[in-house]
Amino acid sequence: MSYTKAILSALLVLALGSMPASAGLGQPEASVTSDQLHMKSEHRVQDFQAYRVHELANTEGAVVREYVSPEGTVFGVTWQGRSTPDMNQVLGNYVNNFQTATRDQTQIRQRRGITIKTSDFVYSNFCRMGVCSGRAYAPKILPGNVSAEVMR
Amino acid sequence: MKRQFFSTVQAPPFLLGVMCLLAMAGCGGSNSSKATTTIIDNTATLTAGAGPNGLSGGIVNGLYVSVTVCQHGTATCATIDNVQVDTGSIGLRLVPAGLGSVTLTPINVNGSPLEECIQYGDTSYSWGPLELADVQIAGEKAVNIPVQLLGQGVSATPPPSATQPTAGGASCLQSTPISTLPGTPPGNEDTVASLGSNGILGIGGFVFDCGNNCTTVSFTAGYPYYICPNGTCQAVGVPTVDQAVNPVAQFISTDNNGVMITLPSIASAGAVTVSGTMNFGIATRTDNALGNAKIYALDQCGNFPTVTFNSATYSDTQCTNNTGGLGGFLDTGSNALYVSDANTLKTFGISDCASGTAGFGFYCVSGGTATLSNVNFIGFGGVGSANISLNINNATTLFSTNNAVFNDVGSDSVPNGGPANDFWDLGMPFFLGRTVFVGIAGTAAPTGVNAPNGFVAF
Repeated sequence: MSYTKAILSALLVLALGSMPASAGLGQPEASVTSDQLHMKSEHRVQDFQAYRVHELANTEGAVVREYVSPEGTVFGVTWQGRSTPDMNQVLGNYVNNFQTATRDQTQIRQRRGITIKTSDFVYSNFCRMGVCSGRAYAPKILPGNVSAEVMR
Repeated sequence: MKRQFFSTVQAPPFLLGVMCLLAMAGCGGSNSSKATTTIIDNTATLTAGAGPNGLSGGIVNGLYVSVTVCQHGTATCATIDNVQVDTGSIGLRLVPAGLGSVTLTPINVNGSPLEECIQYGDTSYSWGPLELADVQIAGEKAVNIPVQLLGQGVSATPPPSATQPTAGGASCLQSTPISTLPGTPPGNEDTVASLGSNGILGIGGFVFDCGNNCTTVSFTAGYPYYICPNGTCQAVGVPTVDQAVNPVAQFISTDNNGVMITLPSIASAGAVTVSGTMNFGIATRTDNALGNAKIYALDQCGNFPTVTFNSATYSDTQCTNNTGGLGGFLDTGSNALYVSDANTLKTFGISDCASGTAGFGFYCVSGGTATLSNVNFIGFGGVGSANISLNINNATTLFSTNNAVFNDVGSDSVPNGGPANDFWDLGMPFFLGRTVFVGIAGTAAPTGVNAPNGFVAF
């Protein structure tokens, strides 16, 4: 990596990654507030028998949903909108799993989107016609009686 | 109807003269002035393969065409090959090196060049100015339309940047690009090496890439259009005439309502490269007639609203409710069949290729090729229902050959997503061995076609 490239990367990381990695996947339910502030969004809570959904929606149609276990941990997130949301924000500490898995996945480019399926981190994101959607969850903290399909 | 206009048999001589003026190219060639030579060439040659970077560039199932770009109103032109044909985006976007010494006309907003940021699903992006050019593909010409020049004269990163977290409240990239992506900085696709092509020709089923949502800054996250006076970017509303536009919809001929893409069949092991054709216009002349193709209307998002397979229903609930799956769609810009998920398809012997294998990120298959039959794609408002069959082969086996074109490579749409989240993306493999029509919403549809949001036919 050239010096210029390294500097530019560092600047971009500074700009985009400056939010504390204290919110999102794997974090306590209270971290949803931090995400809400970050997204400047409205907040709606839906309770289901085995989990709770915090839906953060801003006026432009961008939506992030955080799925919380009865123990109060965010076990999954989904998103829809005109861009892929800040992964540092929505993935919490699992952003490391994201970076590690994608590093191994560069043989054939998949510009439309990427999918990751490992034992402790499942991720997908897809953008087409200016619209992106995706989701991520942590199988090991998924409540036993909850299907991965509910995160949508 | 207008589409009879270009029939040499039926058009009277004075009309042919008018056509000649309108069509500019292919008219009155130096060696002949007969009326029969005035029919403009609406057929472009396509090439599928690994593209300009070769197999080591990491591209399979790329689809490419040659595009000529001219300084408006002049014969100062550059012909650029290996431009990716993408029915999943809108607008012509070029790596500027392909233009050589040809300069285009900047579009200024409040005295500053208009810039656009587009982002891709793997967190990579392109960023650069829109400039006006005459664009010609085969003999078809669009005059003075916006074309994006990737990376030309802009700082390397679009908003947000280190010094400017947002631009007037808006930002294009929300997420840091993955650090291992090609580009400088990683994820910035403004060279042939990082983009994998000399440009992208976005010819999906719409006219503009943003349309009325960008005539004012009606959203902030992922907003595409900016000006950057003195290095400080701000989001700007842009009239549609200055937005990235589907060049086909702007053709001055009547062949501007869509495209017809024909690619040959190949063996299941794949091919190094194949050639096909793209005819412009749908049912505007004899060589682009619908023939036996069936028409499928699409929903407001350009998708089939419903796909059924194996007793499950996959709906485009994202278009209607901002949640869940995308239904189904056809997309030459997808390099594989992104269909269902390996967990749902495990009874067919389909699994995710393991990390460390050549097919990682795609489907692997045990026990030979898996066939998914009776996949039903149902059109918007019930207009059209297709029963199709898809083959999925082992990606690790396929990618271990020297081939770069495959009709049977697949991938999860959403891992473990189930029918509520999954979708059916009929990417490049689907187009091999078929003729597929992509009709542009808001243009003159063929007689009898009821598809306000555009259609596909095959």
